[in-house]
Parts: sequence; structure tokens; C-alpha cells
Amino acid sequence: MKKILLFVIFSSFLFSTEPIEYGWDIPHTPLRVGGYIDALYDKSIEEKFLFEDLSLLLSANQNRFDFLSEIEISHFNLDGKSHGSADIDPNFERLQLMYTIDDTHAIKVGRFNSDVDFWNQAPVNILQETTTVPHITRSLYPKATTGISYIKTFNDEDKFSITFQNNRDIGDEYADWVVADKHISLAYHGVNDEFLWSLASGFYREEKSQHEAYYAGVGVEYEYKEGVFQAELFTQKGEEGLSKPYSAYLESTWNFSKRQNIVMRLEAYDDEELATEEVVSLLGYVYRPFSNLALKGEYVHHSDLPLNRFVASFSVMF
Amino acid sequence: MIKILLSFIFGTLLMAQELLVVGDAGFPVENLTKEEIKSIFLDKKRFIDGKKVLAMNYEYNHPLRLCFERTILEKSEQSLERYWRKAYYNGKRPPKVVTSVEMLLSYFENVHPTIGYVDANETVDKGLKVLYKGECP
Repeated sequence: MKKILLFVIFSSFLFSTEPIEYGWDIPHTPLRVGGYIDALYDKSIEEKFLFEDLSLLLSANQNRFDFLSEIEISHFNLDGKSHGSADIDPNFERLQLMYTIDDTHAIKVGRFNSDVDFWNQAPVNILQETTTVPHITRSLYPKATTGISYIKTFNDEDKFSITFQNNRDIGDEYADWVVADKHISLAYHGVNDEFLWSLASGFYREEKSQHEAYYAGVGVEYEYKEGVFQAELFTQKGEEGLSKPYSAYLESTWNFSKRQNIVMRLEAYDDEELATEEVVSLLGYVYRPFSNLALKGEYVHHSDLPLNRFVASFSVMF
Repeated sequence: MIKILLSFIFGTLLMAQELLVVGDAGFPVENLTKEEIKSIFLDKKRFIDGKKVLAMNYEYNHPLRLCFERTILEKSEQSLERYWRKAYYNGKRPPKVVTSVEMLLSYFENVHPTIGYVDANETVDKGLKVLYKGECP
């Protein structure tokens, strides 16, 4: 297994000469196959070094249909065990089919990332500037929806979506984020040159606890020559003692050279379920020697929880 | 001194490379806005008049591609890398890459509708439809 992993990692370097080409086209089919790998070093977890995600992406565009699947093995350690078990159980992170009715209307079915906030549209290590994730992304809304979504696009850029789920989730049973069996959401993403904004609101019922909650939030992102600024604010109202009155973060990435970034994140949240109201600050460094590879190191400071630590990661997309 | 400066400025303007965004002879529309071209090349817009459009690009570091990315897409290399990483994760694909103008012209002849861009000074008239005119700084 280790040999296969090493082969995949080193062969992915071959893609580095062309910064925006990923994956392989399967001859005589509309299919393209690729994936990504994240390796993590975190002193706060039992196994300090592990492969957080080993993921295979399979996509196809045929006329008005777009198929996408993301099959993943998570928490895979050097002994070849996933979640502490030798039985490797791949999980469908996404399994979706989209039909584009015309330039402005589309319908998506299957399991897909919930159309809520910026972070959740690209919730994997290689696509973000930090290894750790803000509180918002794990606790305020279901990360994935197994259902149907209608998408309306305006001016090729702005996008409105309405999503509906009323069935079990087909995803990961080990998930450490919200897994719902009922989810309704409305979202709007606006684009104005380099300025992006988003609004989202919804209702969900958690699958295991049957806990119900409403959430709403707003996000902004501004990309400028020297970096990217991103901020999001969400609130969630659930049953007595389980709400998250607020969760917000400001993240600023400074491209101090073509391949190196400094990232700072300031986060604050109030989580009644965790009985925690705290501020989390982060200072990190990102080195992307090639467009498909990232090496990250960050120090995370929590004002309340005993989670102050250094986290490092290696991630590659192929 | 002023004369030297003026002649330098005008000389530079005369040397500016003109970039033409072109479609095949049967392309469904007569012209496109810069925003529409941007959407097509970023795989945000795939259909024009109900027809799926094939977008063509040059190889990475091709001077015309660098000009196109700067003047039409208005994105830096770093910004494009960030965009395409996320887009690929979401199932989008970048334009098809050709290695020469001849290869591009062959796509124009055989696949419809196709959109690409050429250097106005070098490309002979092949019955292509000029959809937008830009200029490399």
C-alpha cells in the first residue's frame, strides 16, 4: 500500500509543468480520472501522522449531463488501517449528476457538497490555505446533501440554488460534521469582478440525534493582486442548549511571493453544545512549489479549549 | 526630449499586438462581450444558442495565452491556478490545448462551434468569424 501511495505522489509531480491540467482522460470515453491526497501531522490527535484523505475523482461531461464522483478513504494510518480498522471502507464523498437545462437553469441530484458558504464549495486541504478548518464548516450546517438541487444562474456568474433532502445520507458514518436526513436550503452567490459574496439559509434534522436546527449566514471574499481576504458569519438556532448563536472568521492570505503565502485567521464562536465560547487565532505558512502541491505549517491558538498546537500537512492533487 | 518621448510612446502603440477572439465560420453569434468570453474560457458558460461551444487555448507560457489571460480573463497566473484547482474539484475542465495555430485552424474546420484566439498580425483569413478584438499591452 505504501508503495502505491508513493508512486501516486511522485507521479503527480509530472503534472507540474502544466499548471491547470489535472487528471487523465480515459480514451474513447467522456471520463476523466484524478484525485488528491492529504497527509497530516497533528500532535493533538492519537496518531500524529496520518493520511487524512485518499481520494479518487471521476468526472464526465456529455452534452448537457455532468457526472462527478469522489470516492474517499479517510484517516488512513501508516499501518494500513482506516479509522483504526484494517477493513478499508471507501466512502462516497460525492456522487452527483447534473443536468443543464439551458444557460441559466440546471438540476443536480445525488450526494453533493451543500451549497452553503465559500469554504464548503472546496472543503479539501489542497484547495484551502490552511490545514485546520473553521468551526463554521463542521458544526453549523450539513456538509453534504443527499437530495436534489435546482440552480438558477444570472449573467453567467451570480447563482441561486434551492436544495431539498428528505432521506438518509449515503455518506461517511465516521463523519465528524453534521450528517442530516432532512435538509432544505436556499443560497445565493454573487460575483462583482474580484469581489464575491454569498447568503445562505436553511433547516436540517441531524440523522443520529434527530436534533433540528435552522441556520443562516453571509460570506464575502475579495481577491486582489497580493492576496485573498475571506470572511463568513453564521448563526444556528436549534433545540434548547444545542444552538450556536454565532460563528465567524476573518481570513487573510498574503502572496508574498509567487509560490509562498502567509495566512492569518481570526475566528470566534459560541457553541452551546460544546459549552464553549472562544476565540481561535491562526498563523500559517503555505508553500506551493507546483500548482498541484501544497506544504503547510500553522500554529493554532485557542482562548478556551486546550487545543493550542502546531499542525503541518502535505497535499497533492493529480 | 519631448519629441523622443512622444515617438517612443507612439512607436510602442504601433507595435502593440492585436488579439482576435475568433469562432468558426458557422459560429452561432456575430460577436461576444469580454464577459461572455471570460465565462466560456473559465467553463462557466458552455452553451450559446443551445449549442455546446468548444473553447481552445494555447500551451502554458505561450505569449498569446499570457496576453489573453491578462487582457481578457484579467487574472494573474496565481489566481488562475487557484481558480482551476477548485474548478477541477467541481468537475469543470479547462479549454482544450493546442500547440500551434495550424492545429487550432484544423479544429475550426472540423468541430462546430469552436472558439479560440489568434494574433491579428499573423493569421491569414480562413473565413473565421471575429467575435472580439483585444490588444496586448
